[in-house]
Amino acid sequence: MSMNDYLWDPSDTPDPEVERLEQMLGRLRSTPPVPDLSTVGRSATAVRLTPAATYVGVRFVAPALAAAATIALMVGATWQTSRLGAAWQVASLTGEPRIGSRTLAGEGQLAMGQTLTTDAASSARVEVSTIGEVTIGSNSRVRLVETRDGHHRLSLDRGSLHAIIVAPPGQFIVDTPSATATDLGCSYTLHVDEDGSGLLSVEKGWVALESNGLESFVPAGASCRTDPTRGPGTPFYDDADEAFRDALDQFDYGRNPARRAAALRLVLDHRDVSAVTLWHLIPRVAAADRGAVVDALADQMAMPRGVTRDAILRLDRTALDSWWKELGLGDANWWRRWKRPTP
Amino acid sequence: MEHVLERGRFRNIGNIAVTSVTCVAQTVSAVAKGDQDAFSRLYADYVRLVHAIVLGRVPRRDVDDLVQEVFIAAYTRIGELRDPAAFGGWIATIARNRATDHLRQAREQVELPDELPGGDAIEAETMAVLDIVRKLPEAYRETLLMRLVEGMSGAEIAERSGLTPASVRVNLHRGMKLLREQLGADTRVSGRTHVSAR
Repeated sequence: MSMNDYLWDPSDTPDPEVERLEQMLGRLRSTPPVPDLSTVGRSATAVRLTPAATYVGVRFVAPALAAAATIALMVGATWQTSRLGAAWQVASLTGEPRIGSRTLAGEGQLAMGQTLTTDAASSARVEVSTIGEVTIGSNSRVRLVETRDGHHRLSLDRGSLHAIIVAPPGQFIVDTPSATATDLGCSYTLHVDEDGSGLLSVEKGWVALESNGLESFVPAGASCRTDPTRGPGTPFYDDADEAFRDALDQFDYGRNPARRAAALRLVLDHRDVSAVTLWHLIPRVAAADRGAVVDALADQMAMPRGVTRDAILRLDRTALDSWWKELGLGDANWWRRWKRPTP
Repeated sequence: MEHVLERGRFRNIGNIAVTSVTCVAQTVSAVAKGDQDAFSRLYADYVRLVHAIVLGRVPRRDVDDLVQEVFIAAYTRIGELRDPAAFGGWIATIARNRATDHLRQAREQVELPDELPGGDAIEAETMAVLDIVRKLPEAYRETLLMRLVEGMSGAEIAERSGLTPASVRVNLHRGMKLLREQLGADTRVSGRTHVSAR
């Protein structure tokens, strides 16, 4: 029987046809993360390292071993239960959500690396360690990325979640395809469409959105869109009218320069434009338009002592953060410190 | 049709294989004692084997989750493994059983398309080829997926699966022949993918 050596040994001379199939099917390759074992219990039976033949005598002590194993399993189950605090408790609210490939009936646990998926008829509540809870809406998929003291991270691939977090800022993070949302002590709703774009609406506290160096701070009563190619947009208060929101969308995500310029004028002249929106626009507009935005913000909120117009126009980070602090919505310095890598 | 599907103990095929079996046994032993680093090593060594087996049976959207579940099951039941050197064949059996259970449960749920919107954009042609491979006999299907999807060499497949190198050679050769025949007959697959039946 002849054998194609390349089929056996990929380091051999490539067979073009096998190579073509390899390239095509190789796209199906994936390596899911190593499952988290911290919440997994285990049978108490010890692994046997010697050949099976040496275990002939086992049959004579099997009843005693079985009894011992039963006791050990009970002890193990108790031990496992005591360790389950590290996992996130999940409860089905409606329908039948899935954890991994298993249907969740009633309550269950979400371990690190596992996904929780809901369909059109299901929703679930997840306890975020001891710091809060997240309600997962219908047609959603979340994955528990990380959970340890002070660091809890979910990814929301699609759908929606509503988070209520009672913890110091920065402990709960949600990754989405278009931005990372960092809780700064609050409750909020995050929605991700099938195309990866999203909408964040904050009810209490504030949330920081970030993608590729672009940041948006979203306070209570405000919302912010996110886009997979452009990152977080400019925040706006929820009571702003539709025309204002459309203009802001056009400025944030439009591609036609003339239309973006017209949209910016509409935003600046609109009665619903807020100091929060204007502060975010300063670094996002072209240099030629920056003065107008700075003046509009100065009309609403005077620059703090020590901050100059020139420094703002230069996009001096300290000056911008000082002005943000004047808004009374939170201290941006905290965010800067938090983002520094841990030594 | 003769299928070579040989599961069970790893055969002594030379010094390299013996060394490898010893390493696996040591790693399994460490995992049994609760060494999580050893579990990570075991995972890295066998994840492609498990992924190929599961991918050959269940919808792609469920594969990653099932792969994780297989390893968690292996971890929880590792005390049941009588011969640590037979880990490859053992976890392969867990993967097959878990995939079968999953399909049984899935039948009771609403049918969803294999590729949901928002997932990775895998071309229809790739999925058509996968569909054909999934219809091949089990031994050929698994071996071909380990080779063509996971990029494992024949020697690696033998080492990880517990099959003899001769069995893997036969499975690859006959599986490829069957795949060529099926690709030639399938209208979903473009001429670019057609390979001559040699």
